[in-house]
Amino acid sequence: MNVRAQLVMVFNLDKCIGCHACSISCKNIWTDRKGAEYMWWNNVETKPGVGYPKNWENQDRFKGGWRRDDGKLKLRALGKGPTLLNMFFQPNMPKLDDYYEPFDFDYSNLYKAPPGSDQPVAEAISQISGKRMEEIKNGPNWDDDLSGSQIYAVQDVNLEDSTLVADYGRMFMQYLPRICNHCLNPACVASCPSRAIYKRGEDGVVLVDQEVCKGWRFCTSACPYKKVYFNWQSGKAEKCIFCFPRTESGQCNACAHSCVGRIRHVGVLLYDADRVEAALLKEDDQLVAAHRDVILDPHDPQVREAARKNGVSDQWLEAADKSPVYALVKEFAVALPLHPEFRTMPMAYYIPSLSPVISSGGDLHTLADHGTFPLLETMRAPISFLASLLSGGNQEIIAEVLRKQIALRLFKRAENLGQSIESSILKNAGLDEAGANKLYRLFTIAPYRERFIVPTQQREVQNPEERKGSSGFGILKKTRRAK
Amino acid sequence: MLDSFIFVVMPYAALALMIFVTPYRYFSNRLTWTAYSTQFLERDKLFWGSVPWHFGILLVLLGHFAGVVCPHGMARLLANQQMLVLLESIGLAAGLLALLGSVMLLLRRINDGTLKRVTFCSDWVLLYLLIMQAATGIYIATFMRWGSVWYLHTAVPYFYSLLSFKPELGYVADFPLIFKLHSAGAFLILALLPFTKLVHLLFWPLAFLRDPPILYRWRSQRGNSRDF
Repeated sequence: MNVRAQLVMVFNLDKCIGCHACSISCKNIWTDRKGAEYMWWNNVETKPGVGYPKNWENQDRFKGGWRRDDGKLKLRALGKGPTLLNMFFQPNMPKLDDYYEPFDFDYSNLYKAPPGSDQPVAEAISQISGKRMEEIKNGPNWDDDLSGSQIYAVQDVNLEDSTLVADYGRMFMQYLPRICNHCLNPACVASCPSRAIYKRGEDGVVLVDQEVCKGWRFCTSACPYKKVYFNWQSGKAEKCIFCFPRTESGQCNACAHSCVGRIRHVGVLLYDADRVEAALLKEDDQLVAAHRDVILDPHDPQVREAARKNGVSDQWLEAADKSPVYALVKEFAVALPLHPEFRTMPMAYYIPSLSPVISSGGDLHTLADHGTFPLLETMRAPISFLASLLSGGNQEIIAEVLRKQIALRLFKRAENLGQSIESSILKNAGLDEAGANKLYRLFTIAPYRERFIVPTQQREVQNPEERKGSSGFGILKKTRRAK
Repeated sequence: MLDSFIFVVMPYAALALMIFVTPYRYFSNRLTWTAYSTQFLERDKLFWGSVPWHFGILLVLLGHFAGVVCPHGMARLLANQQMLVLLESIGLAAGLLALLGSVMLLLRRINDGTLKRVTFCSDWVLLYLLIMQAATGIYIATFMRWGSVWYLHTAVPYFYSLLSFKPELGYVADFPLIFKLHSAGAFLILALLPFTKLVHLLFWPLAFLRDPPILYRWRSQRGNSRDF
């Protein structure tokens, strides 16, 4: 048993209102710079939709992630030999148009324009060429709220029946906020010929060493989530850093902090690094179970002993003990990995959405029969869609999670109204009363310190004699050529 | 006078710059150590420029180095006439690939508006210099036949005389101007290397071939981390 600790984020999709507050706070802190204008380390997509960059889930086109080959994991796109042969041109890399050409507006025209018969407008200016843009053709959330669904939503690879998009009686919509998943088996790390991308041993955050990166862009292609970006100004790769300057001091990430719907949870998971590869060799529909199997119980004394041996501090063990993420991912098993079939073992987990709860007007009476919530079978979002997104196609896993959420709602509703419900409702869903109350608290009223349990990095105990005077504030180097 | 400049001053100046400026740049600011890829902004023309350029120039450079590293072996190899014709043809073809590629890269920079913001003076200098180098090389290969053989008895001993700090111009002084231009271009490119994006060719992905796929850095383990 090789126990390691990982900082993990859980997203409760049932509560996401698609306000983009997370994207904006991330942008303002990290990517409001030249060369990074088009990057959204955190973005929110509407599902069904093509996302950002367009069609990122389509690995026939982008060839991201891993595949199984003769009982071994191999990068889907390029092995080591082909990497050397493709050094000079990236065959699978998305281009600017797949993201969007970043733009600003010429607001000064609003007051500088000469008198004329038309109202002056603020024209769009490209943030790359600096020239006026005739037409804005794309954006980071271009198909937000199903806009242009006939063009975009129909292309969603998770949609079994794309005619659904044209049928307003059956159409549904959910939001999907995405950051870098800080995977346990990151394809970006494996693909980097410069060896610039690494996974931090202590907290599992995946980072690009800007000094080592040579700008070969294999990571950009290899990441199946398209969460490594190429800075066109500095000529190097950049990605979500899990706000490590914040998490190291015990604060949660900026995106999670600013979340209006309070949909995010951050905490520690302990996992067995020796079992990761074997888990990823399972069939697609077995992958969620394999994920859960790799995650270890922080209360188990054997696990704690092995963790201590690997240098996991008591403070981190305590955080793992109380981790809201462990509760959601393993204990209640309601949070699922995004596209586990990409086989990177992503460490961001999603609780599938239950809504919209009323499928259409006429159904209201039928709903009332079983307590205001629809039966699993009559849910508006097809289970096959959620399964394609979150469980490698395993519909039973999605059904289990949704059943728990429905049972929880029925239970709390009855409690609020002073009614009694059959105890079998909770039991059939795999919950008990104490568990339901804990889950309810996490889903609803849990305050900051319960949603985010982020232990500090404790640099003070790591070779202090070497560390003293070695870091702090200094002169910032130029990151690019001056023009 | 011109000969001394091209064959004595330039090589030693280039060598000195390589030896002193490259490590300085490496240790002072590695944030500029990249090839500044522009594929993200323009990819269609880049394919027809970058790929032929790099594979062509790699083959040509390999030929040049083989003569210096192993002159006797090359001489024995080239004694076979068929081998000589074959290798010269491959070399010429590679040179043409490199020339076509570099011209494509130049046209791309000239014609594509979105690249204006990422094109610097050094990019123009390098492109023109590399095109000139490829063109003079092809001229020499075409009109001064069997260069792969005479190279071994002229330029190669001259290189060795350079390395032993007793430069002997006799080996190269009688060549026509085009050869001297080609040599001067080579030394100029070497001299510019540490100042431009050409530094990218000093890094070879060897660790990548050896390492396990997933790279970890532990702050808590000695010798396994840089301070970050």
